[in-house]
Amino acid sequence: MLSEERRTEGTALTRPATGRLVDPDVRDEFGLETIDMNMGPQHPAMHGLLRLILELDGETVVRCDPVMGYLHRSKEKISENRMYPAVIPITDRIDYMNNIAMEYGYCLAVEKLLDVEIPPRADAIRALMNEFGRIMSHIPSIGFLMLELGAFTPILYAFRERERIQSLFEAVTGARMMFHYIRIGGVKADLPEGIPEKMWSYLEGLEQRFEPDFVDLIEGNEIFISRTRGVGKMTPEKAVEMGLTGVPLRCTGVEFDVRKHYPYGWYKNLDFDVITDEAGDVEASYRCRIGEVRQSIRMIKQILENLPEGEVLADLGRRLRPNEGDGIGRVESARGEYAVHVVSDGSDTPYRVHYRTPCTVNMQLLQEIVPGHYLPDIMPIMGLIDPVSGAWDK
Amino acid sequence: MQTALNVLEAEPVRLLISFGAILFLVLNLAGILTMAERKTAAYIQLRFGPNRVGPRGLLQPAADVVKLFTKENVSPGRSDLWVFLAAPIAMFIPAALVWLVIPFSPNAVVADLNVAILFFVGITSISALGVVMAGYGSRSTFSLLGALRGAAQMISYEVPLILSLLGVVMLTGSLSLVDVVRAQGGGFWHWYFLPQLPMFITFYIAGLAEVKRVPFDLPEGESEIVGGYMVEYSGMTWALIQASEFASMGLMSAINVTLFLGGWQPPFEFLDLGTFNWFWFGLKTALLMFTFQWIRWSLPRLRMDQLMDLGWKVLVPITLIWLFVTAGAMLIFQEVF
Repeated sequence: MLSEERRTEGTALTRPATGRLVDPDVRDEFGLETIDMNMGPQHPAMHGLLRLILELDGETVVRCDPVMGYLHRSKEKISENRMYPAVIPITDRIDYMNNIAMEYGYCLAVEKLLDVEIPPRADAIRALMNEFGRIMSHIPSIGFLMLELGAFTPILYAFRERERIQSLFEAVTGARMMFHYIRIGGVKADLPEGIPEKMWSYLEGLEQRFEPDFVDLIEGNEIFISRTRGVGKMTPEKAVEMGLTGVPLRCTGVEFDVRKHYPYGWYKNLDFDVITDEAGDVEASYRCRIGEVRQSIRMIKQILENLPEGEVLADLGRRLRPNEGDGIGRVESARGEYAVHVVSDGSDTPYRVHYRTPCTVNMQLLQEIVPGHYLPDIMPIMGLIDPVSGAWDK
Repeated sequence: MQTALNVLEAEPVRLLISFGAILFLVLNLAGILTMAERKTAAYIQLRFGPNRVGPRGLLQPAADVVKLFTKENVSPGRSDLWVFLAAPIAMFIPAALVWLVIPFSPNAVVADLNVAILFFVGITSISALGVVMAGYGSRSTFSLLGALRGAAQMISYEVPLILSLLGVVMLTGSLSLVDVVRAQGGGFWHWYFLPQLPMFITFYIAGLAEVKRVPFDLPEGESEIVGGYMVEYSGMTWALIQASEFASMGLMSAINVTLFLGGWQPPFEFLDLGTFNWFWFGLKTALLMFTFQWIRWSLPRLRMDQLMDLGWKVLVPITLIWLFVTAGAMLIFQEVF
């Protein structure tokens, strides 16, 4: 039982992580100490390798320090030593749940640098694959949220959908996970014969299965509501202040989507809504994801209906040597705004590449919001952010 | 020949044999239930489940037991070793012991105690001790939190559990489980789940919480405290904890069937199988256990404060109200009872 004052002041921002976590002088009115707990990096619910240093007062979290860096692979440094096209496979491994968007951002940045024109068919296919990638990432996110709440079954239904989309992707790109499909100046290859029809029939099947499997069984569940409503609540001001993007921002009611407000590629031609919700809690983030999957289905149908004809890869020559300067590619990945900044010094390797992954920024939520919640509430809040280990560490 | 039969009929020998039979049943129950659980889960989750060992994977539990026996028993370096090792036993013994008073059929009950319900209540509360020992002995924050949750949950839910039994005890006028079953003879409309419907539901929910099953599996809470009080166990000690969980799950179903669903009584009188009436008992228990598993693979988990709210603010008032209703009805319709 800590005093209210200490509960608010003792957040991680005011007290950085030190070797000694529990201050022996800090005792409450009963002379009881808080206990410290080390959650992760080897923990099943930490979305990869995240370590949380927690200070617990019974079941209440007093302090939460996320420690990142357990999956750091020097993506940015490696990118500096590779030729421009060879960086794409590296970007694939950043957010491994939504790789297409990662490739897309990098290619956009280099294309800005080169100032090239992309064939319209390539643009359309990029948007198509990107939206499939979003579905492929959002549906397992819903599954992970349920898994963290203790329901094991939805994740398997979610992965059924992901596997089916992966099979479609395998036919298009040749890989099931690390696609290396979007190239500088277009995409690797045209859609194979018959694949647009298969995509269409898959979408119709998904529309039928989506409501019963991911909405009807979850949305009205009393336990789901009691575990998520009001948990991880934040105001729009706070969300903007922390620089959140993606679903964590939109679920507070702020309408911001790179696809809509800074349109790139084929998104200029598409008709879609930005899904927002007022509540700003875990339940709202779930509703946002559900809505975004529906919007993605709508967008893919539009693209498939008017798929332009023509080339899919602009001819840029064998060796790319952009002029000195820099280019920024912004895309809306499944987790928020993903931006790549590429600086060129005129050689065939980038001088500097910076990846702005949404997960790294969105993770600030943990420090700010978790203190004051119960220990089991950390998991739904992680589900709200839905971070991917590869993306926050790079 | 005659002397041999006499020896068999002697009380200590009979008890020994029946205790052996119960132990055999309980230990096998764990294996069968693991298999059933995995197959149910697979069916619900679009998977096949274990299908490699033996015909249709039915020998999987045997293979698991061999694996668990040959596994090294690891204990944490800082653990309180005696407490750590005694905890699985302290959990298993009570779960197995209560099976002694369960009436399987009219002539198959090991000990027809006249205080069998009291015995059940008393012995099941011991198993909370095992959870605390496991959590305390492991010396891990995760285990400690799991144990504290387990203790709080099991002690809190004992209250609605016991209160929901009382209606049946009042109607029967006896604490013997055999008497309770005999009083429910003659078709399913005589079973106590109809007049005691709120109590039946309360007993079912409190039973779920008592055996720490989803949605009340907070002591394990695998997404935050990764197994809770059993996180440090491995090999046979872990298997013993699992066996005790499954035994107490079967036990809770068996007691539920005995008290509210007519025990060995057939649903219609013309279906009376005489000595083989244990079939009905087994069928009803198996169906209840299936619902336990069904719930486990369908629902998310509650939080500790919500769990306590449900126990103290919902279940206890319901049982108390229905206790008064039962007492009032008995007073008014005295000639019926």
